[in-house]
Amino acid sequence: MNMIEKILAKASGRESVKPGDVVVANVDTLLLHDLSGYITANVFENEVKKEMRYPKRVAMVFDHHFSPPTEQRAEVLERNREFARKYNINLFDCGSGNIHNVGVRNGFVRPGTIVVGSDSHTPVHGTMGCFATGLGNNSNAATVMAYGKAWFKVPETIKIELTGHTKPGVTPRDVALWLTAQIGEGGAVYRALHFTGQYIKDLDIWDRWLFPLITIDVGGKCGFIDPDEKTIAFIKKYTDEPFDVIVSDDECQYEQVLSFDISDLEPQVAASPTLGNVKSAAVFAGRPIQWAELGGHGGGRIEDFRQAAEILKGRKLAPGVKFNAVPSSRETFQQCIEEGIVEIFHQAGASWFPASTGSNQAINMGAMSKKEAMISTHARNFPGRNGSPEAIMYLSSAYTVAASAVKGCVADPREFLEG
Amino acid sequence: MSEIKGRVWKFGDNIPTDQIVRVDRALGSMEEMAKHVLENYNPEFPKKVQKGDILVAGKHFGQSSGRAVAPKAIKATGVGAVVVEYASRLFYRNAFEVGLPLMECPGITDHVSEGDCMSVDMETGRIKNETTGEELQARPVDPFLMEMLEAGGLITFGPKIDEWKA
Repeated sequence: MNMIEKILAKASGRESVKPGDVVVANVDTLLLHDLSGYITANVFENEVKKEMRYPKRVAMVFDHHFSPPTEQRAEVLERNREFARKYNINLFDCGSGNIHNVGVRNGFVRPGTIVVGSDSHTPVHGTMGCFATGLGNNSNAATVMAYGKAWFKVPETIKIELTGHTKPGVTPRDVALWLTAQIGEGGAVYRALHFTGQYIKDLDIWDRWLFPLITIDVGGKCGFIDPDEKTIAFIKKYTDEPFDVIVSDDECQYEQVLSFDISDLEPQVAASPTLGNVKSAAVFAGRPIQWAELGGHGGGRIEDFRQAAEILKGRKLAPGVKFNAVPSSRETFQQCIEEGIVEIFHQAGASWFPASTGSNQAINMGAMSKKEAMISTHARNFPGRNGSPEAIMYLSSAYTVAASAVKGCVADPREFLEG
Repeated sequence: MSEIKGRVWKFGDNIPTDQIVRVDRALGSMEEMAKHVLENYNPEFPKKVQKGDILVAGKHFGQSSGRAVAPKAIKATGVGAVVVEYASRLFYRNAFEVGLPLMECPGITDHVSEGDCMSVDMETGRIKNETTGEELQARPVDPFLMEMLEAGGLITFGPKIDEWKA
């Protein structure tokens, strides 16, 4: 069995499972954000009407709002707070950071466990050796509250093997964007993606994070990386709770094996309307942008701010460009202060925003008119997610975001990077 | 579950949940969401859809956010069944959990046109274009999901599963 099959078997009290089996498994963590939390709370109270079985396993993070923009949204958040108090679940209020970062940094994500969430990017926690997947923000999340269980169909698994070394100026996010196009949107519907290979092994945890993150947008159910000594050391920083390190058998079965050498890759950009529209940054070079942002489910990491700071140091944003710096957690902002990055960004003309998921779906920032375009580290670029369906979203590495902000148009970052 | 028969409303590929129910309506009432379902693609759809009509769409229907209000709002318009080339995993799961009949039928968009009359048998997966007489076979639905659908969704079905209670 592979890692997720072993975890599903253990959590459902079975000796073994195989693809196609339907199991009812114990859930270790349920993650909700401010929007899905509101919807789920209503379904739980009005339709499910049961006790909250394991309140300490439930965490709600306000990450789409760092501050409510309207009275109606203030009421949504207040309702969520009341719900959290009433049932004694964990609440992380405005300004805490991105849901998935907060989940990890507060010990809700441990190897060998099952993590579910109503945010569709929940599969990112497969980075930590979990079976992690998204559930609907409705009956499913609400029944997890009542029963501590969820049903799962065991998926077929595709092995993705990455080898080689990237060129200077090419980052793990470039590799992940490129890989999205290689697998294709809908190219892995219902599948589990096992990310392996020396390239993945050599990455640090927050860079590995970018790979299971793409799972949902190629249609997958979950993505995972077998936990190793790096994973164990990383998780131990955030929790004292014991956990089982479960890894895939050497001879496990795959539906498909995809192997890629990423050594020749150039910086990549995914342009609206879909994530599959990925090309070398050079192809989109020269297209105007008015907004740049570091933030999102996979952005706003210290790695992103360090990359952008290399380019922004001593430079200014192009006239007309606005740059939103959105840390994924308060700890990341603290690091940015300590490393002088806050000052570098400020001097370049960028604006700092509270720890959150930033412009994701333009809930409290990041709406665009039909003539505007943004380049960001966000995870999605679908029409209408940030205001006008005609507004354009380019997704890229933090290097490419910063280079584009300095030039006022999409740019290959290597012209700003030394050697 | 008996045969579902109705008029076809046809949509394209890669439609995200964000465009089935826009995020700024996702916290509103179901009635209000149903009035605007898919309006960016076809403004006539939410106004003229009739109970029992069939929504046909292309590849990776319901991608992006996993918000279950998307299938719920489609169900609230009275649509009898959704037939797609294939659905996103979360949309697929949500549809059965909220009690919206959904079938995946590769090739469907080549064999039906907007306004055709179509019938769907969820049990057998048989699909017939009543206008042209053409018949198609959809992918079978897992028995577990058929039971869930017949129970009316996960909230009523879940507690009936023995392992759920343990």
